[in-house]
This record gives sequence, C-alpha cells and structure tokens, in this order.
Amino acid sequence: MDTLLSGQLLFAALVSGSLYALVALGLNLVYGTLRLLNIAHGDLVMIGAYTAFWMFSLFAVPPLVSLVLAAALCALLGWAVYAGLFRRMLAKPDLAKRVEANSLILFYGISVILQNLTALAFSSTSRGYQYLDTVITWQGISMTGNRLLSLGVAATICFGTLLFLRFHLFGWGLRAVIERREAAQVVGVNLNRVQLLTICGGFAVAGMAGVLVSMTEQITPFMGFPFTIVAFVVIIIGGLGNIGAGILAGFCLGLVETFGIALTSPGYRSILIYGLFVGVLMVRPEGIFTKAVRS
Amino acid sequence: MRLGSALWIALAGFGAAVPFFGSTYLMGVVFQVAMWIALAQSWSMLSATTGYLSLGHAVFYGVGAYVCVLLTGIIPFEFAILAAAGSAALFAALIGLPVLRVRGPYFVILTYGLSELVRHVVMRIESALGSFGRMIFDVPAQEVLLWWMVGLAVLATLGAYAIRHSRFGAGLAAIREDEVAAQTIGVPVTRLKLLAFIASAAIPGAVGGLALLRTSYFEPAQAFDPVISFTIVTMALVGGTDSVRGPILGAMGFALLSELLWSTLPQLYMIVLGLTLIVFVLFVPRGLSGLVGRIGGAR
Repeated sequence: MDTLLSGQLLFAALVSGSLYALVALGLNLVYGTLRLLNIAHGDLVMIGAYTAFWMFSLFAVPPLVSLVLAAALCALLGWAVYAGLFRRMLAKPDLAKRVEANSLILFYGISVILQNLTALAFSSTSRGYQYLDTVITWQGISMTGNRLLSLGVAATICFGTLLFLRFHLFGWGLRAVIERREAAQVVGVNLNRVQLLTICGGFAVAGMAGVLVSMTEQITPFMGFPFTIVAFVVIIIGGLGNIGAGILAGFCLGLVETFGIALTSPGYRSILIYGLFVGVLMVRPEGIFTKAVRS
Repeated sequence: MRLGSALWIALAGFGAAVPFFGSTYLMGVVFQVAMWIALAQSWSMLSATTGYLSLGHAVFYGVGAYVCVLLTGIIPFEFAILAAAGSAALFAALIGLPVLRVRGPYFVILTYGLSELVRHVVMRIESALGSFGRMIFDVPAQEVLLWWMVGLAVLATLGAYAIRHSRFGAGLAAIREDEVAAQTIGVPVTRLKLLAFIASAAIPGAVGGLALLRTSYFEPAQAFDPVISFTIVTMALVGGTDSVRGPILGAMGFALLSELLWSTLPQLYMIVLGLTLIVFVLFVPRGLSGLVGRIGGAR
C-alpha cells in the first residue's frame, strides 16, 4: 500500500501519460479534420525515434535538436501522403464514399511499407542510446533526467497545441472543420489548406513523440503498432476529434495503466488496456469526457 | 457467367484432386489458398454486404482453434471441427448485439480491439494453466485436412452467393446503403445484422480448427494473430467486394505473390504488398473482380 501512495508511481504514470497524450494528439488531429483511420500513426513515432537515434549515434546531436528534425521529416511525409494519395482519393466520389475501408487499406499499405523499408535499411535488431540517464532524487522520488525531460517536452507540446487551437485564427479554423465541416467552408475556411497543414502537424507531433520514446526505450522497425493502438484507446476514451479531452484521456490512461499494473501484475497490462477500450466503445462510443469538456 | 461457374467448379476439383498427383509443397499451397478463400468469403458475408467492416475476424479463427485443441483426443476430429464452427458462431451471437450497435470507424476499431482482448485473455489463461503452447498428436492425414479445407472454401463461396441473391442479402444491402432508411421502411436491421455476423463467424471457426490440426501446435498469440484479420480484409478488398468471385481472386493473387517473394525476400514482399494495396485503392477501386469483368466484357 505504501508504494501505491508514493510519488514514484505517480511520476511513472505522468511520464507515460504525457507520452500517450502526445501520440494520441497527432492521431486525433488527423482523424478530426480528415476522418481518416490512420493506422500508420505509430510508424511515424518509429521514424521519429530512428531519426533521434541516428543523429545521436552518428553526429552526437542531442535529442532536443532532433525534435525539430523529426518533426520536419514527418511533416514532409504528411505532405507527401496527403498530396500524393488522399487528395486524389477524397476527390473521387466513389472512393470518398467508402472512406473508412479505403483509408484503412491505404494506411495499412503505408504502415507496411514504412516498417519494412526501415527493417531493410537498418535491420530488425533493436537499438538504443544513453542520454541523460543519471538518477535525480527529489522528495524521495527517483527520476532519470531523460524521463523528466520527456515529461516536460510532451506536456509543453500538448498544452502549446491547446493554446494554439484556442487563440490562433488558424486554430479556430481547424476546430471549425472538426465540428462542422460544411459550415466551416461556408464561412470561408480553406478546407484544403486546413487539412494539409493538419496532417503535416499531426504527423510532426507523432515524430516528436518518437524522439522522446527513443531516449528511454529500445527501438525497432516494428515498435510503432502498439503506439497506434494506445493512441486509439486514448482518443476513444476522450472522443474522436475532441482534442482537449484526448489530452486529458492520455494522462488518465497513464494513471490507470501504472496503478492497475501495480495492483495486479504486468501480465494484465494488455487486458486492462483492451478491456477499457472495448468497454468504452460498447457503452459510450462518443467518449467518456465528451460532455464534460463541451459544457 | 455459365463459363465462369464451370471454371470455378474445375478449380475446386483441381484443389481436391491435388493429393493424387501433386507434391507436398503443392498441397501446402492449395491448403493455404483454400483457407484464405474460406476466410475472405466468410468475412464478405458480413462486411461486403452490410458495409460493417470487421477488422477482428481473427477472433473467430482463434476461438475455433482453441476449442479444437481442447477437444482433440476426446472426440473424433470431425466433431471437433463442427464444435469449433459452432463455438465461433455462438461467440458471435453473444457479442453481436452490443458490437453491432456501433457503426462506421468505431465498428472497425471495436472489432479489432475485441479480437486483441480475447487474444490476451486466452494467453493469460494458458499461462496461468502453466501451458506454453500445446502440441497435438494423432492428427488426420494431410489429404483429409486438405479435402475439408477445399470443402469449406466451396461452402463459404456458395453461402456468400446464396446470401447475396436472397431477400436476406437485399436487406443487408439496404443496411449498407442507408441503415436508418432501411429501418424506417420495416427492414429488421438488428436481426439481419446479427444473423450476418453469426453466419460470417462460423466458417472461420472451422478454418481455425483445421489450420490447427495441420500445424498440430497451438499457441494463443499465433492463433489470434491480428495479421490474420488484416490479411482477410486486404484480400477481400483487393479482390473486390462487388461479387462473389472477388475474394477468390484476391486470395489467389496474394497466395501467388507470397509464394513468389515471401520465402526469398520477406521484407520486399511486404513492401510490394503495401504498394499493391495503395495502387488498388486509388486506381482499381472495384478490385481484381472488376478488372476481370472489364477484360471479359461481362459485368
């Protein structure tokens, strides 16, 4: 019981929660504005992680610098995917009609290609590097520098995005597209531009999350899919397309997961996550926090 | 179309006759192709007809395999296969109502999540029982398993055909086009969806049982592998969901591709697979079936 009340678990929960919130944020933006089921989202996390790994190992570039690089790389990928594939798909009425099936298959294709290209280029062996791994003890809580940094960066990006959506004109346009697509166009929101920039932004956020992951965990070409799943769980709990609630849900999932495992055993982690996922979807498919945040 | 039917009958006959002249290798390929045809056709009974896209059919396959491994040695294998199909159908009936209330993209990820949940629960049960994979001995001869599998592929194809050309199928198509409108004019949408769900679960259960008997090894992580779900969906969609021949063409196309590339260059195979999917979605929306129809001049 003592361990449950200590700050140690809370810290662990916040670190993983902030990461979940960040990964889900990118997915939620893309789903909200484009209504596309991006199951390749976790693979962008993988690409961000590899960017940070190679920059650090080859040129000793610190991960904080790689954040910018990974974001740029993933944003470029987002542009390519949107301009090359999705604008084409959404423009054809018969393809846009079956958008779920088609976007699922397209993103599955992209995911498979990204994973296997990475495996082909860098082999499937897991890799890692050591960065800021000294232990800092504060108030009896032991923290490694990289986890603390990860928490700080993830929280900053999440709340920065929220502020941007609330106070910047483009953020208003984006929220308008999420809420009322047609109405937003009527009042002069440039749908095409919003969609393009959002997919770039959403991909960039995933890439940055990958940089953070690479500081504390081993990376492989196939590490992405679990992140995709966690991101879906988070945005289902928060409500698809509901950005603020999604961030809250990310932190909640971190708490539930960490304390749930502490109470049972790590073997129950997946059952806990999928159980929550299925339970929420069956009972309240519109998300748990939807109402609380709107009012 | 008459020529087409004759062609399919010849194909099934070829599959069943392979043990008499083919090598073990060819038998393996035919088994795989028949398996994927059976799975993709079953999937299409729900997903192609109603538009409810299931990304969790691995769960029925896995349930079938699990039931089969528990029953093998207790009852003859024919009954174990039937029990596998029955349990998968029963499982679909139990979860059907709450799951089918959920629509669109939510349904896609719910079916996936559910399949993964069951996978992890079974893995947990098995490790609590101290079993890390179960071997089974005394399996039926390979050709017997092959005949069963070809039989299932034929059954699934006939079933999918019968559904599409019945009142039941018309009701399902109405659900796909506009569920609310269908309900308003008196289509019993809930009952139809549930029946389609059960129908599309039964054969995958039997397929899971047969695949298990062929490998004679059960491991929950493999039996419920989500890659099975993804493969079913991609085969059916690449084949084309507009007609019954679509899943057959899709399964055969992928089997050919994987035989050519998988053993030598697995990563290249996956990359080609990914590119194929993208090309098909963008340029061949009606799938291989539509392509064949255009070449043949028929619909």
